[in-house]
Amino acid sequence: MADERRSLSGLTEHEAQEFHKLFVTSFIIFTVIAIIAHVLVWQWRPWL
Amino acid sequence: MWRIWLLFDPRRALISLFTFLFVLALLIHFILLSTDRFNWLGGHAPPSAAAQHMSTLPAAPSQ
Repeated sequence: MADERRSLSGLTEHEAQEFHKLFVTSFIIFTVIAIIAHVLVWQWRPWL
Repeated sequence: MWRIWLLFDPRRALISLFTFLFVLALLIHFILLSTDRFNWLGGHAPPSAAAQHMSTLPAAPSQ
């Protein structure tokens, strides 16, 4: 505990990096699914 | 960029993000359901957006 500097959120730098990796991966997966959904809806009924 | 998680607690951030996205998704889906063109449960398919635009143009004179 003494060697790990605690931050405002309570995470160490290593924990923050680890969480960030997971967060970015999830965000990319979410975005890809959203893009696929929008392409399908555009094919169904384009809105512009 | 990862340093953001030193500022914001990931648990609170995730709960906030999921809540926001859920409310936004619900809102968008209900807005779409309330329209004629994008209601996927309504049944009839209205003409395309381009045709709807055309129909608002003034009609050609009959004489």
